[in-house]
Amino acid sequence: MSGVLFHEQTARQRIAALADAGSFVELLAPPERITSPYLAQLGIPVSFDDGIVIGHAKIGGKKVYLAAQVGQFVGGAVGEIHGAKLTGLFKAAARDRVPCILLVESGGVRLHEGSAGEIAIAETMRAIFECRALKVPTIAVIATDIGAYGGIGILSTCCDHRIMTEHGRLGISGPIVIEKWMGKKAYNSADRALVWKTSGGKTKYLLGDADALVHDAPEAVRDALTKLIGKSKPVNLGSVKARQKELQNRLKRFGATDDPNVVWKGMGVRNIEAASLASGPEFAALAKRGK
Amino acid sequence: MITAKSATRRQNKAQRIERVGKLARGKFVSPDKVPEILRRIIEPGDILCLEGDNQKQADFLANQLATLEKKDLRDIHLVMSCITLPAHIELFKKGMIKQVDFCYAGPQGGAVADLVKAKKFPVGAIHTYNELYARYYIDLTPRVALIAAPKADRKGNLFLAANTEETPAIVEPTAFSDGIVFAQVNEIVDKLPRIDIPADQVDLVVEAPYPMHLQALFTRDPAAITDVQVLMAMVALRGIYEKYEVQSLNHGVGFNTAAIELLLPTYGERLGLKGKICKYWMVNPLPTLIPAIESGWVESVFAVGGEVGMERYTAARSDVFFTGRDGSFHSNRAMGQLAGHYAIDMFIGASLQIDINGNSSTVSKNRITGFGGAPNMGCQPTGRRHPTKAWLKAGAEANPGPGSPPGRKLVVQMVETFQAGRVPTFVEELDASDPSIRKALHGVTPVMIYGDDVTHIVTEEGIANLAACRSVAERQAAIRAVAGYTPVGLKRKKRETEDLRARGIVQLPEDVGVRPSEASRSLLATQDIKGLVRWSNGLYDPPSQFVDW
Amino acid sequence: MEKFTKAFPSKPLPTKTAKPWALAGVVGSGNLEVLLESGGRPKDAMECHVETSIPGYKASWLAALADFAHHYPAGGTKVTINDQGAPPVLVTLRLRQAYDHLTKGDK
Repeated sequence: MSGVLFHEQTARQRIAALADAGSFVELLAPPERITSPYLAQLGIPVSFDDGIVIGHAKIGGKKVYLAAQVGQFVGGAVGEIHGAKLTGLFKAAARDRVPCILLVESGGVRLHEGSAGEIAIAETMRAIFECRALKVPTIAVIATDIGAYGGIGILSTCCDHRIMTEHGRLGISGPIVIEKWMGKKAYNSADRALVWKTSGGKTKYLLGDADALVHDAPEAVRDALTKLIGKSKPVNLGSVKARQKELQNRLKRFGATDDPNVVWKGMGVRNIEAASLASGPEFAALAKRGK
Repeated sequence: MITAKSATRRQNKAQRIERVGKLARGKFVSPDKVPEILRRIIEPGDILCLEGDNQKQADFLANQLATLEKKDLRDIHLVMSCITLPAHIELFKKGMIKQVDFCYAGPQGGAVADLVKAKKFPVGAIHTYNELYARYYIDLTPRVALIAAPKADRKGNLFLAANTEETPAIVEPTAFSDGIVFAQVNEIVDKLPRIDIPADQVDLVVEAPYPMHLQALFTRDPAAITDVQVLMAMVALRGIYEKYEVQSLNHGVGFNTAAIELLLPTYGERLGLKGKICKYWMVNPLPTLIPAIESGWVESVFAVGGEVGMERYTAARSDVFFTGRDGSFHSNRAMGQLAGHYAIDMFIGASLQIDINGNSSTVSKNRITGFGGAPNMGCQPTGRRHPTKAWLKAGAEANPGPGSPPGRKLVVQMVETFQAGRVPTFVEELDASDPSIRKALHGVTPVMIYGDDVTHIVTEEGIANLAACRSVAERQAAIRAVAGYTPVGLKRKKRETEDLRARGIVQLPEDVGVRPSEASRSLLATQDIKGLVRWSNGLYDPPSQFVDW
Repeated sequence: MEKFTKAFPSKPLPTKTAKPWALAGVVGSGNLEVLLESGGRPKDAMECHVETSIPGYKASWLAALADFAHHYPAGGTKVTINDQGAPPVLVTLRLRQAYDHLTKGDK
């Protein structure tokens, strides 16, 4: 492996590392200077890509649409331009029947332009389901501690597949928000171990919310993508009912516990300490997932 | 024959212990009796030593002391290495203190500055650690010392575990001058793992209701190291470590030096430096040193203190760390500082401000912090006589006169030209030279490291070899040359810089064979705390605030 | 926010660049993005547009940009910077990265 960590790369570096060499073509590239008029009005620095890089590329010779959010820019939050780029890409994926990959890094809607962000996320979800109806695979990669929260957390779970690493986090309300509403006793957002054991990639993988758990390396993410870009999962009454049952089961088994290790043990992890330090496939090997 | 004087001192101690009377059972007292006992054993005019450095704190005893009032306790001459707790500040606010002699006030630096402004901080001097410990044997010998230990046995022997730190340096002068040693311990046990302080030297012991405060001070999360710091680390490795073949050294606590530690097994290995540099260390058990130790770079590490979470790792690596017969880690602040003064090739650390003469300080009008150990290690020990390769090479460059030692310790300041928030590191004049600060300190500017002692300054712009400068003007030009785009740097003259560069006094990254485009976090042996745990084979237990698994 | 524009004398860019534009860095706390575009005029100046969230450091900016234009043949390029409080060293580092991408490509 290159020794480069996926979560340390910038959005553009991630795309360059995942796509076949030289195959990425950026849409609405920085020289077009399509930036947020709202942030500019508020005296907040703007960015040429408004926090999301979109375009098409080839992975293993297969054409894909590819988007990467920029978590460092206002938390990767979705504003009007960012949202329009996201929606447009998934719509194009449905139109052209080309698999669509989103490298997620976002806390959800950008507060400075909230309505536009909300609408964009809803429209993107519609486009994702359009893809799924057409059997066009959609994949969310969640591999950084900014993770997928708020509307983007929901959006990520609408995709056919989720690839995660131990750094990635997936949820709706962020830890601080949960603590604020439920109290520090119920959820201490400063307890990083608790936060990752409840919303981190390993737990999400154990519970089946993530389809693949991979090492924090671009090569590992690329391998997982190659395996999944040809596969779509149907959405129909049967699949929704099955999912509902799964969630009811989960609630029954683990709803009363406040110790995430109980969930890990319940999902087949025997050696918690070893599993805590293991990553990717080694972690998966220490657990009997989905039991 | 007993002289009259010592007999008086001994009698006085006996009287104090007698006053404690039935409040103690033998040496042992219960926590609720502590304030009253303190009132009875401390007399007006006493030199009182409160143990507490930048890591361990006799916090229970300090807190009990702070519950007393001026009527109970007055005219105290307080001696202590670090003013770190709110309770320490309380003693000044209550007007109990007639003089204080100390080293460092990191977390209370703001409060100390406020006390100075309110004229409630009658300071004798700010010291370096060994300077203060030395004075405990000369003119600042404590009458009463309040200390902390993890464990005592039923005789009053003390076990200091990984954090021996300054306890012996306080206890010895106090106990051997008929002073009173009062220890707070976390627990009293039947048998200690090892005896660090014999019961002979301990007068009173209390089992504190909460464990002594221990600060995780040397844990640097590799995730917070920047590409710029990696660049500086590469420059330092090539331009100083490699050039002088630095074998024995001390690292400061910053991210700059953490980056160097994490580059050894990767970049250092590539340069073929393993076995040639960085073999003998005087540092606390730095978690970021784990990859270098595991890769076989390090022969030995001696420490002034422990580090939270490194207990199992250091015990398992007793080939490298000093440990007791029980296997547990041993530190000693006074001896470590002595080692750092005389026995190392290089001291390298950071500072908040450096002036155009190379003087550095962390003191400003609103934050009076002080020194700690840096001035002791970051100076030229002219009493040194033994040669090493690095010492002689640095000495030769300095062109010593007929009346000077032939060698020099490398004293390196490694700083980014700007601090966070674009505050320039380089200034024409130190904030510390403010008249109000100088007045409070009897005319002394609190300089951390004097420019005359500094041999090199490393910034992201390059290296300035101050030892090789031949005049004050030349040294100032060399500093401006590496001061980047700070106001100090903008005043440099192109021709002067080019001349210094041609003579090798100023070196840019490319002059020492470093390509800035190569500087990347991906060169580090690991990029996060979890990686350190993996390197340690699970033996390192990082403090919970660093754990996300 | 502070905005300024200035052109600095610089030797012309090599006639053939690997790509028409290159971007380095990210707009985030203490960081910045640099967009470097070729094909500008005149061919003996580097034209710079800076928007920064921390006002009051124009002298440092101008000195850093002037040094870059002096050390690298960047005439005929347009530099646009969105800054969120990056130290000058990052300005130089990102410029250098963008320049490498522009002239040598992504590899």
